[in-house]
Amino acid sequence: MPQTTIYVSPRSLGAPDRRPPSVRTTDLARLFAGSPALAGVSIQVEAARTIALLGPNGAGKTTLLRLLSTVIRPSYGSAVVDGLDLTRNTDLVRERVAYLSHDTGLYDDLTARENLAFAAAMYGTPDGTARVDRALRDVGLDDRAADRVRDFSAGMRKRLALGRILLGSPSLVLLDEPYAALDTEGMAIVDELLVAWREAGVSVLLASHATDRLAPLLDGRIVLERGLVAAVSGEGVGSAPPSLPGVPAPAAEVAR
Amino acid sequence: MSAVRAEARTALAIARKDALAELRGRHAAVTTLFFSAVVLLLFGFALGPDSARLAAAAPGLLWLAVVFSGILAVNRLHLLETDDGALEQLALYPVARRAIYAGKALGGFAVMLVLGLVVLGAVGVLFAVDIASAWLPLLITVVLGAAGIAAVGTFYAGVTVRLRAREVMLPLLMLPVLAPLLLAAVKATAAALAGDPFGELGAWLQLLAAFDVIMLVAGAATYGYLLED
Amino acid sequence: MKTRILGFVALGTVVAATAVALFVVAPDLNQGDAQRIMYPHVASAWLAYLSFGVTAISGIGWLWKRDLRFDAVAVAGAEIGVMFTAFAIWGGMMWGRPIWGVYWQWEDPRLTTTALLLALYVGYLLFRRLTDDPERRATRAAIVGIVAAVDIPIVHFSVEWWRGLHQTATIASPDRVLDPAAPPVFVGTLLGMLGAFTIAWLYLMIRRYQLARAEVAREEAVRIERLMAARAAGPSAEVAR
Repeated sequence: MPQTTIYVSPRSLGAPDRRPPSVRTTDLARLFAGSPALAGVSIQVEAARTIALLGPNGAGKTTLLRLLSTVIRPSYGSAVVDGLDLTRNTDLVRERVAYLSHDTGLYDDLTARENLAFAAAMYGTPDGTARVDRALRDVGLDDRAADRVRDFSAGMRKRLALGRILLGSPSLVLLDEPYAALDTEGMAIVDELLVAWREAGVSVLLASHATDRLAPLLDGRIVLERGLVAAVSGEGVGSAPPSLPGVPAPAAEVAR
Repeated sequence: MSAVRAEARTALAIARKDALAELRGRHAAVTTLFFSAVVLLLFGFALGPDSARLAAAAPGLLWLAVVFSGILAVNRLHLLETDDGALEQLALYPVARRAIYAGKALGGFAVMLVLGLVVLGAVGVLFAVDIASAWLPLLITVVLGAAGIAAVGTFYAGVTVRLRAREVMLPLLMLPVLAPLLLAAVKATAAALAGDPFGELGAWLQLLAAFDVIMLVAGAATYGYLLED
Repeated sequence: MKTRILGFVALGTVVAATAVALFVVAPDLNQGDAQRIMYPHVASAWLAYLSFGVTAISGIGWLWKRDLRFDAVAVAGAEIGVMFTAFAIWGGMMWGRPIWGVYWQWEDPRLTTTALLLALYVGYLLFRRLTDDPERRATRAAIVGIVAAVDIPIVHFSVEWWRGLHQTATIASPDRVLDPAAPPVFVGTLLGMLGAFTIAWLYLMIRRYQLARAEVAREEAVRIERLMAARAAGPSAEVAR
């Protein structure tokens, strides 16, 4: 197991087999302008697993991540994150989930440190200043801490956004194409983060095309296509077909 | 109680972040101030040169200038959140939605207060109105008026920030709602400047305060929904 | 069927109330026949307020229950409300011309209030058009409707205050018909007109709601159909376990 020095805030999560599944969705669907981006996804991801979300562009990977992160609401179906209902306990879900999207959500006119300091204030991170410094170091941006984000490259912004995730204490991390726009050093940092989260018992669901690189770090894979689950493999993850009129769907089964 | 303190901390952190971003190079505050000065000049051109008439109209002109400039100011505060999907990220933090509203409104209030005071001074100079004699009631009026514009403006700027036709929708939605504030602020200003001959100043200030409270509550209660997608 | 009966009742009562207002009740001593338009004018104004209240409350209903039928009620309220508000303003102007000599009189703050109400309604309806997705539109419209509705009592109150402070005792006041000391036949005619207009309002609301709800149902059916078609078609790859 590769080592890491990255500091992941210890939310006391407990032994994985005692925790509820990190993600359990039932016929989760979302339409945009009348057409289904996600047509009906029923999956289950056990706690403390690292699962890759695969599939061609437009398959619904981003939509699924955005639904689970509470950025958008489902059109149909339901989801339970860490035992909490997604629509009924949205604010509680937000406390437990961290999300890296295509947009970084950083403020151009603020420095890297100021952006993270703001995030620490929003997360209520204890010992905020020290944690911000630590996070900047962990993603390799401590030498650019006082520079404005406006001057950052896309890769550096992404690293800073990853550093922001370190300031919270999520039990589920959702990453949308974490390796995109990163150089070798940046990609190595993502690898270290995945190791650190695994060690801390944090579940990770990431959409990525970098399957070869990820292989040693994954517990399982979910393949999406045309808004539906096409295949599922590995440990700690399972799926079920969506229900059709007259055919209620079975619950997702998980291979252990 | 600690939940309230946490919300207050959140609001202050947001206000501080906005202040930092504004000072850093968006120059919005300065631009808005210059805009209000231009508006006053145009009023002078359009309604002058009879100084008696301008002095009589001064309370109305003051608040019209403040309200119009205020639209620009609150718009800019939310424009800052369009940086690379910042608003979406803001909505993801585990903080109370009304604390986000409070933080943004606080920043808006600070800007509007400065704007109001500067315009008050400018009106005093340009339209030969004696503001020193009634400085206290005028100050209170400006504070209450600024709070109301910030409360309403923050809400509508948030509502329109993601829409197309945002530039025209914001004033269209905001201005009718601000009508009672405009009325009360102008009447209070006029009463204060005249030495409150009919004893109506207190009533208008109370109306302003009530408007502020009601709009702050309404904004705080509904702001969270505009962060949904 | 029941709605159609309601429609006939509405038509009948409105015609009857109008007849009473035009022919039965006596003209005002000072304002003459022009005062008669106050009956439909005041009735319209009250219904304009009621409509906005309905829009705001159904907005709350949507935010709470997430049922698009609430949004259908909201849009019905706004559109019917615009109608009654416009009619109230028109009535006010028609009254103003013979009495004041001008179409608009700033000293009658009620006209200003109604004009602001119109601005709020029109803003709401225009705002709705900017969003296509039905659920997003319902949410955004709900909060705009709620805040606007909260503003209306403040507008009304502040304008009453404004008028109270600048009271010029005038015979040419539009509110003589609301004066509690007015002869009972005036009050009775007004209440009759209000009742008739309310029935008409109810009929229009139901019809508009039915239209909106049908559209909601249709869109929903299309969505479900596409969803089920996508599920039945399946992902292109073999489903593996």
